[in-house]
Amino acid sequence: MKIKGAKQVHYDSGPNMTAMVDVVMVILVFLMLAGSFGGSWHYLTSNLPIKAKGGGGEVKPGEVQDVTLDVRIDPDPTYGFRVRCGDIATVGEAASLRNAFEQKLRAYSAIGTNPEKIQVVLSPGRSVKYQYVVEVYQQALLAEVAAPAGQDKPLKFTKVAFQASR
Amino acid sequence: MVRRRSMPEMREGGVNVTPLIDIVMCLIIFFMLVAKIGVATGADETIVPPETLLGSRIEDMGNTLTLNVRDPAKVEQDRAAAANERPAPLPEFRREQPTVTAIVEGGTEPRPLWVSSPSGDRELARVLRAVVEKNANLRIIIRADFDIEYRLLEQVLMACAEARVKDYNFETKSP
Repeated sequence: MKIKGAKQVHYDSGPNMTAMVDVVMVILVFLMLAGSFGGSWHYLTSNLPIKAKGGGGEVKPGEVQDVTLDVRIDPDPTYGFRVRCGDIATVGEAASLRNAFEQKLRAYSAIGTNPEKIQVVLSPGRSVKYQYVVEVYQQALLAEVAAPAGQDKPLKFTKVAFQASR
Repeated sequence: MVRRRSMPEMREGGVNVTPLIDIVMCLIIFFMLVAKIGVATGADETIVPPETLLGSRIEDMGNTLTLNVRDPAKVEQDRAAAANERPAPLPEFRREQPTVTAIVEGGTEPRPLWVSSPSGDRELARVLRAVVEKNANLRIIIRADFDIEYRLLEQVLMACAEARVKDYNFETKSP
């Protein structure tokens, strides 16, 4: 005859969470793999329409037309592309491109022209690769010159447009 | 005689997973909020855009229309490679204009849009004009291969200008 001793104490550990943790982990891994944080894409924005050959933009009555800075882009067998901007010529290299645009900014600043009233018009040749056009576009926007006395914002080009190919 | 009471037998329920579940739930909520799943822009994943350091993000992708612009010779080469054939020679009117695809007119998949069809219909400009008339603040995203020639890209830009598009965005990728 089995004599039972003290009442056995049973500790209730609650519902078994292991299965729930498994499911939650799978959902978590799915979301980590399926979702994206927007990827590495970004965008160069322009709000200026392409200019037809020899054409100018629309000018509203009373508004002063922007000064245009024509930038020719031609293919180059060695460097990929070459750029001519008035009296400045350079071959496809980011640093020299930016220097060229900064020289232009200083020149315009010296004669009192507001860079925000300057349209940089890119005029690529027909066979120039898109990546070179975008590179020139980018360097035009990156070019920056220290603000002159009395101003707090550095001088930068803010308007870049395209022209139909020659 | 004092009767000794022995300690009751304790059965452990295993590792306490409650804090683990709390943290995992927080992570799930985080990923659900920040992840972007199923945003169909119609972007052609075979296109390799150029690289730039400069660029800005577009938060409201719902107000955008992505134009995939490709060199028709390259499209034909890819088609022939996939079908294990030799690339077929393209007629001149096909060679001289880009292959443009986009999700338009209520479609769910990108469809080809003629810059200028053989019958003279400037389909791309016409479709863009219709879209812009409904939404003047529409942002056009131009997604093109890094090595496409400007003579092809400019036709898309001219169609956009003809349709009075105000906002162009050139898709590039960070290096």
